[in-house]
Amino acid sequence: MIGMINTPLGNRSFKMQTKALISKELRQILRDKELLIMLVVMPVMQITLYSLALSPEVEHLQLGVIDYASSPTSREFVARLVRNQVFDIFDSGGSASTLSQKVKDGQLDAGIIIPPDFERRIKSERGATVQVLLDGVDANTAGIASGYIAQILQAFNSQLSTGTQNPKELIEPMVSYAYNPGLESKWFFVPGVLAMVLNLVSTLVSSAAVIREKDTGTLEQLLMTPVNSLQILIAKIVPLAIVLMMNVFISLFIAVFIYHIPFRGNLLLFLGVSLLAIIVGISLGISLAAFAANQRQSLLTSFFVNLPVIQLSGALTPIESMPDFWQKVALLDPLRYYVACVKAIMLKGVGIEAIWKDVLALLAFAVVLLVASSMRFRRQLQ
Amino acid sequence: MRRVLAQCSKELAQFRRDKLTVALAYLLPCVAMMLYGFATRLEAKNIAVAVKNYDVGRYSREYVSTLYANGQLTPAYWKGRDVMTPLDLGVAKACIVIPPEFSRKIKQRTGAEVQVIVDATDVNNARVIKNSILATTNYFLQKEGLSQVRPLVRPSIRLWFNPGRKESLYIAPGALGVFLWIFPCLLSTLAISREKEQGTILQVYASSLTAPEFMAGKLLAYFLIGLTQAALLIGFSTILFQLKYVGNLPMFLLSLFAFLACSISFGLLAGSRTNSQSAAVQLVATTGFTTSLLLSGFMYPTRNIQVPLNYLSEIVPARYFVEASRNFFVRGSDFSSQLYIIFALSLAFVVLFTGASRLMRRMQLKA
Repeated sequence: MIGMINTPLGNRSFKMQTKALISKELRQILRDKELLIMLVVMPVMQITLYSLALSPEVEHLQLGVIDYASSPTSREFVARLVRNQVFDIFDSGGSASTLSQKVKDGQLDAGIIIPPDFERRIKSERGATVQVLLDGVDANTAGIASGYIAQILQAFNSQLSTGTQNPKELIEPMVSYAYNPGLESKWFFVPGVLAMVLNLVSTLVSSAAVIREKDTGTLEQLLMTPVNSLQILIAKIVPLAIVLMMNVFISLFIAVFIYHIPFRGNLLLFLGVSLLAIIVGISLGISLAAFAANQRQSLLTSFFVNLPVIQLSGALTPIESMPDFWQKVALLDPLRYYVACVKAIMLKGVGIEAIWKDVLALLAFAVVLLVASSMRFRRQLQ
Repeated sequence: MRRVLAQCSKELAQFRRDKLTVALAYLLPCVAMMLYGFATRLEAKNIAVAVKNYDVGRYSREYVSTLYANGQLTPAYWKGRDVMTPLDLGVAKACIVIPPEFSRKIKQRTGAEVQVIVDATDVNNARVIKNSILATTNYFLQKEGLSQVRPLVRPSIRLWFNPGRKESLYIAPGALGVFLWIFPCLLSTLAISREKEQGTILQVYASSLTAPEFMAGKLLAYFLIGLTQAALLIGFSTILFQLKYVGNLPMFLLSLFAFLACSISFGLLAGSRTNSQSAAVQLVATTGFTTSLLLSGFMYPTRNIQVPLNYLSEIVPARYFVEASRNFFVRGSDFSSQLYIIFALSLAFVVLFTGASRLMRRMQLKA
């Protein structure tokens, strides 16, 4: 058989047979309404859901204030706390004990108690201490909120001691945010979810395409035809890759035109990297299908595999925040390289010189998974 | 009642026999818990920051060592002059440029500007980095006696419940809510859809067993299994994440029971709506997973969820259980302040269970 392929005639029939198979697969895919819906609906749904639901914003925290001083200075201080929308003032119950009870029950996120001698101690330059109670259950929010309180106090102290809110300090850090100056959390989540959806759809679709032939028994019929297993595999992968590229375009369209995520990099580079990610996804799906006996099993195993793949990819939470051990585990996650590429190309607008390591890793995953899955698939056929 | 019990024991026997499902029921939740509990962290700890120091004086050296002193920021190195390069290449999350004459300007009391560029692709940590650099700068100014600002008002910040700001105390109790939602309902939905796929449901249609009885039997069986799952998962995470029971135990148990009943009823409902096991699993996995992960407040506070999804989040049972779990393991709230949780979960259970029974009864008539 292999010798035959090398002859000119064999080569031609190989091409023709593969073409015929590809057109069969393509027709089968395009007839599958459920699949087409998944290709379109999944990205729209997921991107919308994730970008609306997830937001690390620290604002409108519920603050209770007990002002025992009730002086002009203390009122000015309270006014400053709520000026930039980090805190909203809520009912504190009137006393320090009711305030702390409310923080304890989770009705308030933060509480501030201003002592009665606030004004006097400031005037006499001895310095006053305000008590700040913060609900620490949400460690991340509490950390950022206490940073804000420190900055508000710093500005307030400046006002008190120099008469101006922003006195010229001897070291002035001029902080600017690169890539995402408005700190839009959507810009973080949408590229990640775009990558995640592509991975999900490509594994699901490819495992379904293989399992379906297994379940209905048409795989045996295919084997009786003169095509070999390599051709079957090529015919499975090529049309899926074409259809999944459509998914990439749809996701990109939604991201750029509906959610206004900037696309600063090179489109061709993006498409090339996406193609690699698709091949990884398809190979993963085929391997899943090859190991499973039926559709239920393949679904459950894909659930099992996708859970860590998504969680460790950095699509939803940054990989740098993970503990060291899990950062090492995350190196084995093919999706993390694609997520890194998508974010770098879209938001940073960098080229291959910045992401070549990720691209190389993705390429390695694509080759290894493709070879492994096709070997497994061919063994099953023979 | 006898018929319900018979249903229940049949279901339990079937569950025990299926090794794959047993593994799915106990192994997968533990693995998932470990993964989510350990790997979901919002705030970065060792943030790589590059410093380009054009100054040769004492102040700049001291300033840089103060920046790295508290361990949150770690040094990153790169070659070249362009400050965007380390950010572009991803080797640093922030870049600080100290101008020439920095020390001299400080000595002359004219003041020096330090340029700080923060990679804001990760919005949350961009804020963390900015706060950290500003706080360190102020600390440095105070320490060196350079500041004109006198600290007349000092905060005495008390972080309640979690003074060390350990994120595991936030994530792990929340993850309990996510997984005690997903896995029990996955099992119960498989139970219904298996009967449908294998056609054994026709026997149920033909028998005198009523739809609520049929459903109650399944509910009871999977409730018992759910309890063992919960016991395993809670025990496992207590050891793994060093959670302590600080809340009201009766309250927590009541919420747990109501929540498990909700989860199983949701699975029954999904199973009755779909016709094949794979469709049922897909329905439960996608809707259950996305709602409990995104709308329960597991990662970020629920008040950050935008319109119109915030209304949807009000009816997601996982949201209430995440609350109850955090109350019990971290906050230590008392019984009376949490009554709304029991109320909400019970209401959700009644709605889900009657929905599932109704659906089953409709089909019974059709058959």
